[in-house]
Amino acid sequence: MLNVEIKNRKLDHRKIKYYIMKLLLSIFISSFTLSLMGESSVLNDSCRNCHLPQDNTFHSSAHGPKLLCTDCHNDYGGFPHEKRHFENKRQYSLDKVKTCQRCHYSHYTRALDSVHYVQLKAGNLDAAMCTDCHGHHDIKRPGATRTDITKRCAKCHDDIDKVYRQSIHGSAMANENNQDVPVCTDCHTSHEIKEHNDSSFHINAYKTCGRCHGDQEKMERYGLNTNILTSYLDDFHGASNRIYSQQKQHSEKLIAACYDCHGVHDIKSKKESQTHEEARAKIVQMCKKCHLNATPSFSNAWLSHYPPTLKSAPLVWLVKWFYRIMIPLAIIGLILHILLHIWRASSRGDRLKK
Amino acid sequence: MHGPKIIHDENGKIFIERFSLIRRIEHILIILAFLILAITGMPQKFYETAWLGDLMDLIGGLDRARTIHHLTGILFSIQLMLHLLYIVIGIALKKISLSLLPRMQDWRDLSSSIKYYFGYKKTPPQYDTFDYKQKFEYVSILSAAIIMSISGIVLLAPVFATTFFSGQIVPAARIAHSNEALLAILLILIWHIYGAHFAPETFPMDKTIFTGLINKDDLKAKHPLEYNRLFPEDKKN
Repeated sequence: MLNVEIKNRKLDHRKIKYYIMKLLLSIFISSFTLSLMGESSVLNDSCRNCHLPQDNTFHSSAHGPKLLCTDCHNDYGGFPHEKRHFENKRQYSLDKVKTCQRCHYSHYTRALDSVHYVQLKAGNLDAAMCTDCHGHHDIKRPGATRTDITKRCAKCHDDIDKVYRQSIHGSAMANENNQDVPVCTDCHTSHEIKEHNDSSFHINAYKTCGRCHGDQEKMERYGLNTNILTSYLDDFHGASNRIYSQQKQHSEKLIAACYDCHGVHDIKSKKESQTHEEARAKIVQMCKKCHLNATPSFSNAWLSHYPPTLKSAPLVWLVKWFYRIMIPLAIIGLILHILLHIWRASSRGDRLKK
Repeated sequence: MHGPKIIHDENGKIFIERFSLIRRIEHILIILAFLILAITGMPQKFYETAWLGDLMDLIGGLDRARTIHHLTGILFSIQLMLHLLYIVIGIALKKISLSLLPRMQDWRDLSSSIKYYFGYKKTPPQYDTFDYKQKFEYVSILSAAIIMSISGIVLLAPVFATTFFSGQIVPAARIAHSNEALLAILLILIWHIYGAHFAPETFPMDKTIFTGLINKDDLKAKHPLEYNRLFPEDKKN
């Protein structure tokens, strides 16, 4: 018994020695590999010898501490570089963005669904792709530069940017640095940007606007109407678009969405400028876009984004309350009558008198 | 004014004609229109309800549901107009009796019926050709049909409608159309289906509206006043 124990202890001693050796070796190997792989400076330094300015901007970019030059420029490992031919700089960039998908696969594929990619495929080489918005060596973290987003889009869409800056949203962003107002990507999304006349964009517009205008807290902060979304969805137009957005079948029918009346990039504050009469006159013009023979009387069918009251729309209010009271009363009455009928038919009613 | 046709069949049973062929066809058309309108209409009102959303997909989407709903609605309105025209002409020519028109007696019947249900009366009230429950249902459905048709036309042609009325008529029609529809459907599901199928005296089904005939015993049990009028000799016995 004792013998066996001593034997075991000896074995343990030898084992520990072996493990320590193994540990030291692995620490040595891993630290060596880490210094090679993780610390980009070692490899990047050799690129720096020739590409100094690029290297400087790259270091301060979001990728700086993470990537090696050759992660993107993977076909330029050797030195001197193998000679390659490109039509022009743009062609080279278009070829190079394909490397983005190696890490940013989901964003990349979503961008393939965008109007930009459709344009690119159709031969418009100026259509935006990854590096046009994000930059190349100087890529920043996207969230940190919200107000810069409009500037990026404005590089191509400067005409729209000018209109946007005049709008209630754009001016608040430009003048007050307001972070609540939407920038381009809040409505258009950032990667899977749809064509502006795409019907799904139109049908789902109420959700786009509703993200803020359906947000009670946010609207109260600016003293804005909190019934915008609910009143729209209660109306014929909103109810229709809501069904369109939920049904399986695709509909090309265009039923008024938020921006059909309020404007798109040039949305103005309702408070400025107009009297009640001017506002109603404007509404007729909006109706006429679809209902060609619309009259002022017809435009009064739109009760504005407020629930009807006895004062603002007596007929609507009365009809609404009539049914609110009638339906439960009638149904309760009918069910009671039926229950009494069954009760009596089972002849238990007789017992009351007995 | 003649009384209803009395038919003796080969087995010696006696039937009384209660509904003419036109009334029976009218009822079948109402069933069809009602079903189609409800199936294409309710998913528009309750699109958040999952199974009604599925029904909408089954129909083929909102656009198709609306097309079917509009066409059926127009046909149903035409049927309603013919029905009203029939009544107007019938009154003018003194050819019809307004046996479905509620009278004071129906309120008295209702109150004595309630008393009967609670056991304060030994017998139910004696009804004529139509009892107050049937009259209530007829008047409800007729007025629902009128409200649905008028509000439906307003919604179908809002620009046209607002040339005669103020703009408010459109949202008011929208609320009326959707709520009256709900009320009518509940009325049919609860009241009519109970009265015509599940009530103990009619279970499983009152076939009179399809055959047009009621047998003598049922007439005596359900409409004793009319029975006494038609068969005065039985009363003496």
